[in-house]
Amino acid sequence: MRETSLSRQLIAGVLLAELICAALFSAVAIGHEMHGRRRAFDVMLRGRADSLLGAVQDAEDPEDNVTVDPTELVLPLQDVYEVVSPSGRVLGQTSAASAALLAALSSSHSPGYFDFKVKGAYYRAVRFDGVRIVDREEKGGYRRPVTVLYGSPTRDLWHEAVEAVRFYVLSGALLLAITGVALVWFLRRRLSPLQELAIIAGRVSTRCWEFVPTGSVLRTAELAPIALSIEELLKGLRQSFERQRQLTGDASHELKTSIAVLKSSLQLLAMSPRTTEQYEYGLESLLMDTERMEGLANRMLTLARLEEAPMEQGETSELQSAVRIVAERLLPLAELKQVRLDVSGEESGKVAMQADDAEVLCSNLIMNALQHSPPQGCVTITVDSRDAVTELRIVDRGEGIPEVALPHVFDRFYRADRSRSRNSGGAGLGLSICKAIVDRSNGTVRIQSTVGIGTQVTVTLPQSKTA
Amino acid sequence: MRVLVVEDEVRLANNIAEALRERCGFAVDCAENGADGAALTEFQHYDLLLLDLMLPGLDGLGIVRQVRRRKDMTPILILTARDERSQVVELLNAGADDYLTKPFDLGELLARAKALIRRGKGASHPVLTAGRISVNTVEQTVRCAGQLIDLSPTEYRLFEYLIFRPRAIVSARELLEHLYDYNWQHHSNVIEAHISNLRKKLRSVGEETSIATIRGRGYRLEAPEKQL
Repeated sequence: MRETSLSRQLIAGVLLAELICAALFSAVAIGHEMHGRRRAFDVMLRGRADSLLGAVQDAEDPEDNVTVDPTELVLPLQDVYEVVSPSGRVLGQTSAASAALLAALSSSHSPGYFDFKVKGAYYRAVRFDGVRIVDREEKGGYRRPVTVLYGSPTRDLWHEAVEAVRFYVLSGALLLAITGVALVWFLRRRLSPLQELAIIAGRVSTRCWEFVPTGSVLRTAELAPIALSIEELLKGLRQSFERQRQLTGDASHELKTSIAVLKSSLQLLAMSPRTTEQYEYGLESLLMDTERMEGLANRMLTLARLEEAPMEQGETSELQSAVRIVAERLLPLAELKQVRLDVSGEESGKVAMQADDAEVLCSNLIMNALQHSPPQGCVTITVDSRDAVTELRIVDRGEGIPEVALPHVFDRFYRADRSRSRNSGGAGLGLSICKAIVDRSNGTVRIQSTVGIGTQVTVTLPQSKTA
Repeated sequence: MRVLVVEDEVRLANNIAEALRERCGFAVDCAENGADGAALTEFQHYDLLLLDLMLPGLDGLGIVRQVRRRKDMTPILILTARDERSQVVELLNAGADDYLTKPFDLGELLARAKALIRRGKGASHPVLTAGRISVNTVEQTVRCAGQLIDLSPTEYRLFEYLIFRPRAIVSARELLEHLYDYNWQHHSNVIEAHISNLRKKLRSVGEETSIATIRGRGYRLEAPEKQL
């Protein structure tokens, strides 16, 4: 893709507009100038022809003719003229002019201006019928009608026109250059906040999240919203990036610690000769460590699967039956901890959730409640169905969750009391898995807890329409 | 020597403690969280602190800062599962002496622990000498002019502690604190019995270097000055 520059395009656009403007102006000015010059030329032609008429006088000959006496006239040498009497007799003509030129001049038969061309030279001429009164002193003079033809080469006219055009074009170009430079400078200056924004935004990377828009950017009405939303976006991105990094760090900590346990156990066992009992004990511990690591890997993979893979369509399960299965399975543990499991609720509708996931969800939640219940305590599990919604409530009377920890309980690897939970085998993934399962079914999970009184977990799931 | 291991993974802490006891003859205490660990360091009984970086409550870095703020010079070795450069730099700058990333080699951990204790007591070589006597802290043997003296593990630990501080008076209480962990019942006459046995064994090889009893204050390893 070709890169386009906004400021360059703007400058080019404005310069082009200026150029067109200058060209149009020059064209109009040239047109006007040409028209004026032609008129002036015509007036000049007529003036010279008139003065030629003035040179018509009595020929002082027996036929009482008139003639043209050009001796007192100062006419340009290259001009050509002819004065003809009504009878067609030539009274006078340019002596130096060629026959072809004179023939071309006299070819016109109507009064007025006309153009002609002789031997590659352009001429403009005028023909008019005038009356010359000669011998005014004697008997009031004689009226002598004559026809005057007067022509002049237009070479000078064109030459002057070209000069004028050159002047207009040159001054136009100069103006264009001056305003162009001023414009570039002005646009650059005005567009500098845009460039600043681009530079600041270009510096942002996953290593450097610094994005502080300058004052000139924030003062620009068009840029301020962009800058502010970039800032907001980056803040969010940075947070999620750091969460991700924290998560990777936590996961690697858990895994590496598990591996460290296995490795150190093996090295300790191999460090010096042991008795058979010591070896047996060591192997048993190693097996337990391996199982714990297996559990951790399983939970991490479950979470990854829940978050990555899309939900299979049409999978439904019944929450009530999942609760019953899990409660039955956890009964021995409950008895061991002397905690009563109180399951109630009628047949619920089906929810869009895989049966395995429903069991994992119930198992994690009930297990949590059991682990935090004091002896002789009670865990109440209720499944309610109403308004196309199934609600699962698990209430314990345990020690509760501190208020500072509540917002984080669904975070992966988060443990409110880490030393305790580590001994109970958790890695802080149970509730994250629950949340992922519920999220996949478009449900919600809420935890309310008061320290010293107990905790209530409420899972709300929409009932499946396909069931 | 006495080592404190602060590690929330109990199995790992036990393995480290077991290895330190077995291979180095150290007394080892374990703490499962940062707060307990920090409280134990306040007694200053320890010759080495082994801290996990990620701990519930107070983390390893926090403990390092607390310890160093007290001007406590005890060597600190950090165990970390994260090997991010910036974190390592921050740890060392805060006053930690060394670090190991998990999963580590147990042998390397022991070697580093010994080296740090040695350095903390001003010795750079694993073999310490006083007069004709040399103590090899790697082999855990004591020789007099090349001749091996057969010592019990406790006698060796006692002698090793004393030879790190020749001519200094070391109280029976200090010896108890640095040679036994919290699981041991403190009886100072135990120390007296071991010292008396040590003296006998040293005399049997004709060594004039002796352990003097300073009444009411403790014990002192007497060694000819020029030969140290």
